[in-house]
Amino acid sequence: MDASFVRVFAAGLFALALAGLAFAEEPAGDAANGKQVYLMARCFTCHGRVGQGGGFNYPVPALAAIELPVEAFQAFLREPPNDMPAFSTAILSDKDAADMWAWLHSLPGRKPTKDFPLLNQ
Amino acid sequence: MTTSRDLPRADRRKFLKGAALTGAAALSPAAAPAQAAPPRADLKASAPGPKLVAAETLPPGKDPVNQTSSGGEFMVDVLKALDFDYLAMNCASSFRGIHEAIVNYGGNKPEILTCPHEEIAVHMAQGYAKMEGKPIAMMCHGTVGLQHAAMALYNSWCDRVPVYVMIGNIIEADKRAPGVEWVHSAIDPAAIVRDFVKWDDQPASLQHFAESAVRAYKVATTPPMGPVLLSLDAELQENPIADRAKLRIPKVTKVVPPVADPGALAEAAKLLANAENPVIVCDRLARTPAGMARLVEFAETLQCAVIDQGGRMNFPTRHPLNQTFRARAAISQADVVLGIEMNDFYGALNAFHDRIVRTTYPVRKGPAKTISLGNRDLYLKSNYQDFGRLADVDLAIAGDGEASLPLLTDQVRRLVDEVRRSAYQARGEKLAKARLAMVEQAKSDATIGWDASPITTARMCAEVYAQIKDEDWSLVGNAIRNSWPQRLWNFDKSHRWNGQSGGAGVGYNAPASVGAALANKRHGRLTVAFGGDGDLMFVPSTLWTAAHHRIPLLYIVHNNRAYHQEYMYLVAMAARLGRGIDRSEIGTTIADPHVDYATVARGFGVHGEGPISDPAELAPALKRALAVVKSGQPALIDVVTDPR
Repeated sequence: MDASFVRVFAAGLFALALAGLAFAEEPAGDAANGKQVYLMARCFTCHGRVGQGGGFNYPVPALAAIELPVEAFQAFLREPPNDMPAFSTAILSDKDAADMWAWLHSLPGRKPTKDFPLLNQ
Repeated sequence: MTTSRDLPRADRRKFLKGAALTGAAALSPAAAPAQAAPPRADLKASAPGPKLVAAETLPPGKDPVNQTSSGGEFMVDVLKALDFDYLAMNCASSFRGIHEAIVNYGGNKPEILTCPHEEIAVHMAQGYAKMEGKPIAMMCHGTVGLQHAAMALYNSWCDRVPVYVMIGNIIEADKRAPGVEWVHSAIDPAAIVRDFVKWDDQPASLQHFAESAVRAYKVATTPPMGPVLLSLDAELQENPIADRAKLRIPKVTKVVPPVADPGALAEAAKLLANAENPVIVCDRLARTPAGMARLVEFAETLQCAVIDQGGRMNFPTRHPLNQTFRARAAISQADVVLGIEMNDFYGALNAFHDRIVRTTYPVRKGPAKTISLGNRDLYLKSNYQDFGRLADVDLAIAGDGEASLPLLTDQVRRLVDEVRRSAYQARGEKLAKARLAMVEQAKSDATIGWDASPITTARMCAEVYAQIKDEDWSLVGNAIRNSWPQRLWNFDKSHRWNGQSGGAGVGYNAPASVGAALANKRHGRLTVAFGGDGDLMFVPSTLWTAAHHRIPLLYIVHNNRAYHQEYMYLVAMAARLGRGIDRSEIGTTIADPHVDYATVARGFGVHGEGPISDPAELAPALKRALAVVKSGQPALIDVVTDPR
């Protein structure tokens, strides 16, 4: 993972703690709409259609089963690090961002690699 | 020009009759007075003057119709002395003389590879040279052919690969036929590529050709290697040889690559031996199969991190010291960084952000010494900016990386005492653990979307590896930023990989892969390549060449139905302006209609499978395709994938 991504990720968590917000365990959000927004906003071009990650000018992180709190995720979209485009409220509302988060959160993430013989060749 | 269609119909027969008479008169001097009739006032054109009349009425001068030798034959002798196995070309009249000589006098040696586009021919030569370690020849028209070839020459130049180009030209203006031969001639045809060709010449005689041909070979194959060009005059190719006994082919000697100064290497060795966290970064290091073994020996002596930028097959992917996929972390902790045969050392040492205000900052967290070793400082050209930004280097050592490594290793060994050996061992163990964690991370990442459709690139690569891992495989092409093979596969031999395009010019993968597959064919290796759909769209007829010449290759189209890097850039541009992200596919995608690459392949005589979008169908398709490849034929699989 890119070092500056980690820095911004950590900064987001810190800001969240300062604001006294709790991590949402089962956040509200329309996952079905979130998937549409994810595709419409072309997030899949870098992060993959199932949030598996990819590559832009450098490796791009996976988003499936995202654990970043929704508020941090929204903040991240507004002022992302590195070469990631910023998604202003003019093109992606807070609600759409929350819906997108709900969909990403619902996606199956990483699985135990021992269950994949092709990955142990 | 007046044609028969311009003449009144009633006069046509008279005209034909007159033409016949004129022809007969030309054979008979006695009929000449009939042609010297006084001018008629009703004709618009004036009557021919005495000189023209004489030219048309006197017997023709000597016009031989047979010859017993051609300059092209001597040229073939020279090409054979240079030991070219192949000559890749698209036929053209400006080199018909040497073409004929190769086919008939030379017995098709070097063997001609018929390519439907000059860009294909050069890229084939590029892929072949990197795999076989020697160049093949390429030939094209000096004007239109060279213009087609130019981009591939740029890739070869940036990739430091020797490609031996010959072009046809007609130097003497009075020897050119009216029309096409004029538009296919130039006074300096190499001018359009001279910025990215290492050396060129236009020989004026056959002896001049022999000397320039040998010189060109020598220049091309001396590090830093690069393309060379010879312009061959058509008259020189076609006309008889005046006196073959007077022509001499110079001795072909290769230049021994320069080993760096021992004193400078000793200084580098001292810095590296004393370092707490030395890091080696390399790009186009391994010129020969010895390169990888030398780097392994050197890295193991130091037990230090190696970051392989992949310009060549430099370092085994599963070696415990391979830290390529944690390059930033390794460099950030480094106190000495050695860059070997780096093209962009600055880029390895610094991070760059493609934002509205573009910024860079050092990756290293603390002060570190930097050492460069390689041929890069020995030769540059100014126009095209392929040399990258100038890095801050404390010790710059000119010399060939591969040739200098044994001495550098020896210098380091002399400094390793028991205390250091113990510290090095601890460092090596730490790096091995970090690499294992990195591999586990890669495997874990690969599980996401394992059964998704379109197919993830991780699944595609894992399925391919499952089918080839027990063969003597060679991956000779890859789609942009598809890092899964290097993350998951065991690249343990020098022929497992041969680098990327060099200049990032689209249209490299298919033809360069076919060229590398041709080299692998004689060694009995199984050649595999991934290539983007956008890349293949530039040069699809490459497939015909592979089929025609029976070149076995498994070509997997990473079909994300887009020029995807540009697609992402357009999203980024639209996001900056807060508008129209959902219009970013305009001009960047290859859809409506989707291209059926398997059908395209079959049309060129290549076995085609796909389009495959269900991952469960991949293994059976791969098995069928590999059976075809093992029978000596090319095969293509169209895999509909997620973007990256």
